[in-house]
Formats: sequence, C-alpha cells, structure tokens
Amino acid sequence: MNPVIKIENVRKILGKREVLKEISFAIEKGDIFGYLGPNGAGKTTTIRIILGLLTADSGRVTVLGEDINSRETRRKIGFALFPDGLYDNMTGEENLMFYARIYRVPAPSKRIDESLQVVGLQDRAADRAGTYSKGMRQRLALARALVHQPEVLILDEPTAGIDPSGQIEIRQILLDIASREKKTIFLSSHNLDEVQRICNRIGLIDRGEIKLYGDLEELRQKMGSGKILIKTGSNLPVSLLEELKTVPVFGFAEAAEDRLIFSPRPGVEVSDLVSFLTARGIRIEGATRQEASLEEIYSTILKEAEPK
Amino acid sequence: MNDTALILKTGLRHLLRMRITLIILISVSLMCVAGLTMAIIFLQIAPLVRTDTPDLQTLELYLSLIVFTSCLIGAGVNLNSFAFQNLTREKSRGNIEALLATPLTIRAIWAGKSLAIFIPGLVLGEVFALITLLAINFIYFIPTLGFLINPWIILSGFAAVPLIYLCLSLLVYLIGLTGNPATGNIIAQIFLPFYASLMINLAAHNILDAGSWSFTLANFGTATIITLFIFLLQPGLKREKVILST
Repeated sequence: MNPVIKIENVRKILGKREVLKEISFAIEKGDIFGYLGPNGAGKTTTIRIILGLLTADSGRVTVLGEDINSRETRRKIGFALFPDGLYDNMTGEENLMFYARIYRVPAPSKRIDESLQVVGLQDRAADRAGTYSKGMRQRLALARALVHQPEVLILDEPTAGIDPSGQIEIRQILLDIASREKKTIFLSSHNLDEVQRICNRIGLIDRGEIKLYGDLEELRQKMGSGKILIKTGSNLPVSLLEELKTVPVFGFAEAAEDRLIFSPRPGVEVSDLVSFLTARGIRIEGATRQEASLEEIYSTILKEAEPK
Repeated sequence: MNDTALILKTGLRHLLRMRITLIILISVSLMCVAGLTMAIIFLQIAPLVRTDTPDLQTLELYLSLIVFTSCLIGAGVNLNSFAFQNLTREKSRGNIEALLATPLTIRAIWAGKSLAIFIPGLVLGEVFALITLLAINFIYFIPTLGFLINPWIILSGFAAVPLIYLCLSLLVYLIGLTGNPATGNIIAQIFLPFYASLMINLAAHNILDAGSWSFTLANFGTATIITLFIFLLQPGLKREKVILST
C-alpha cells in the first residue's frame, strides 16, 4: 500500500541554517501521526513543505502519491495551521463558506452544517469568529479543514494555548474524525500526553533530524528503557545483589527493602529475572514491567542528541 | 465563481465590516477634497466667472485639476489606510498562509486582494470627482457659460487616474506580499502626494495643460511605468517568498 504522505531525504536550508537534514518518513492511510520536537526543531518547516508552502532544496515529498504542487493534490488536504487564519469580522459560517467555495464544494451549506456539527459549533455558527474563545477558534479551524472532505488532515499544534477542557474536546474530535471519517491525520505537537493519547505513530525531530520514528507501541518496547519491578517479600542478601550486578543484560538498577528495580536491555523478559531469582531461593510476590512513557523516550532521545 | 472574484468578494465584505475605519476614511477624504475644491473655487474659479469674458481654457484647467485631485485623494487615502493595515494583519494572523495552502493560485490571491483594496478607493475617488464636477458646473458654469467639460478631463479623471491607482494597488500589494508590507505602504505614501503635487505644479506652470491630451497622456504614461515595475517584480511572487516574509 502506498503511504499517504511520503517524505524522502528532504533537505531545507533557510538563510545559513540547515533546518531539515535529509529527513525521511512515511505516513500510512488511517494513521494518526504525532510529529514531536522542541521549538525550532523543524516541525513547522516540515508542515510547510508538505503543504507546498516551501520548496525542499533536495529530496521528494508526495501526498497520496502525487506532487504537492498540483491543485488536485491540494484539494485532498485539509489543514489547520498556527495562527489559525480565520477572519474575525466574518461569522463562523461565512468563514467556512469562503473555504467551501475555494474548494468548489457541491451543496456547501449542507457540508458546512455537517462540519460544524462534527466540531460542535452549530449554535455559534452565526457569531463572528472574533467573538470566539481560543478553543472555539481551533474547533472552527478544524471544521474549515474538514469542509471539503479531504483525505488527509495536517494540523499544526491543534491544542496550543487552549485550556485543558478545550484540549480534551479537540482530542475527542480528532479521534472521532479518524475513526468515523477514516482520515489520515498528521499533527505536530509539544504536548506529549496528547500525542500518547491519540497517535498510533510518532516522529521525533530535533535540530532538523528525525531521531525517532515508528509505531508508538513498538517504540516503547524497542527503546528498552521500560523498568521491571520485582517484589520479593523479604530483604535480599548482599551477595545476591552483587551477583545481579555481574549480569549486565539485567540492568540491575537498585534495591529498596523488598523491591528490586531493573532497567533491562531489549529482549530480557520478566520471566528471565523471575527464573534467575527463584533459582537462588528468592520468593517472588509480584513482578511488573513498566513500559517507557513517551516522555521518557522523548527526554532520553533529546538527552542523547545533546552535543557533548 | 472565478478565484480572483471570490477573494475580491470576501476581501470587500471584510473591509466593509470595519465600519469605524470606513467612516474615518470617508470623513478624512471628504475634508481634503472639500477643502481643496473650495480653495480653488473661491480663489480662482469664482473671480474668473465674474469677469465679463471668462477664459474658458483657464476654467477648464481648474476644473480638470479639481477632478484629478478629487479622484487621487479618494483613492490615495484609501490605499494608504487599508493596504498596509489589511496586509499586515492578514500576514500576521495566518490568513495569507492559509489561502496559499489551498488550490488557489498565488496570482489569484494577489489580484483578488489588490482589487479588494482598489475598488472602495475607486468608488470613493470617482464619486468625489463626479460630485465636484457636477456641483461646480451647476453652481458656477451652467447659469452663464453652459456645461463645461472636455473629453480629456473625463479621460484623465475617470480613466487614467483609476488606472494609476489600480497599478499602484497591485504594486503595493505585490511588494507587501513578498516582503515587508510597510515597504509597500511607504511607496504609496510617498508616491501619491508627490505625484499629485508634481502634476498640479506642471499644470499650474503651464508646462502641461490639465484639460488637454498631454495631461491625460502623462497619466497613462505613469500607469505604464508602474505596470513595467509590476512585470519586473512579478516573477518573485512565489509561495515560499510570501511565507518567509511573514
């Protein structure tokens, strides 16, 4: 199956700075792809290249297998950028009508009603966008992105500057769109919790390089920084602790009273540790694996990338 | 609907909703036109009309200058107040970036936005010019001399000046889109008063007869020169350039 968005060896220099250093990744149909990275990492530049607003100095970008600069490809993309680009003096409905006409949407009024319903703004459709709260503006920008029924949604920081309840609403809307309307969603975010909750794949960019890319669950396992906690029920002999230190793959981290904490290397299972300990007469009361959170993965990667 | 027409319609709707700005704009333009017209009438036209044999050519010259400046003031005040303000706001709030990400061509966006700035000024300038032309004729000329007008006055005021203003709107918006909107605004702010005073002085010193073909031709020539600048700068109108100038 062809990827919906494919970025191959894209390089971009702005001024004297290499903003993107031959980045490559692909987003499959139905993915909710979270594009993470600190400020100035190259997220917005990547989005602008995908939308055809900037041209890559080298490399290739295709959306739905086609060049982004064709009008037909642009019709298949919906976007909500930051800032939102809404017209404050126009009502919510008029803002959508303008874009519906740009995209030549047939029966635009009906489609506008549907889009407003998806984002829950039917009641405020006749009010000027300038009177909307930040969260409502973002929802209106989402409705605008949906008005022409695009196949791909590209969202730049969709929850930036919105209060927590507004963020929850937007996340729910995005999940609904992905599941009900089968859209592929590319979203850039600073919010790790948000990405962890709604995205199935992630890409982490730092200083113009993709540091991490793939399925979120797979990455959690692959990163191998998930800890294993073993409850033993009694204090352990010092000799055993010394022995554990001689097996580096176990990644013995610390012992606290009746608890042992390991940061094992990839491939080491909970059962391996339990077998090792029971073979030495230790009674095990419980063992759990704590998978690495996105925050841990993120900070590990960024720490590794820091210039020494 | 054609893309340019769509942008134009939305741009006009957006501008017309800025009621306070519009009221201030119309008031300032009206005061300028009325002040200038009254000064020329009381200092030049009225004394001339009262003479036994009024010099029709001189009266035509004054009438032509009033029509020319009325049109230029109406259009110019509008361009100076709206083009910069509108473009700066739309660039900083992401309106332009959002439009560039749609299937619209960049030229359609540029043309539509420029026309949205041009049309209110055109209407304002032409209405002022028409009102002053008719008012002076009805009050001063018709009772004694008949309706005073010649085709060059009509062409200068109602074709050449609007053409200059259209070209200038396109140029200012082109410069503002691909660079800093303030640069375009500075050009408009310097050009319009300079041009108005240059043409008035040329006419007042009998170098160009404001009621003749030469004056009209000079105005069309100016529009052509601005058009040449547009052609020179137009290849730089690229999505990337607009985005990076924001």
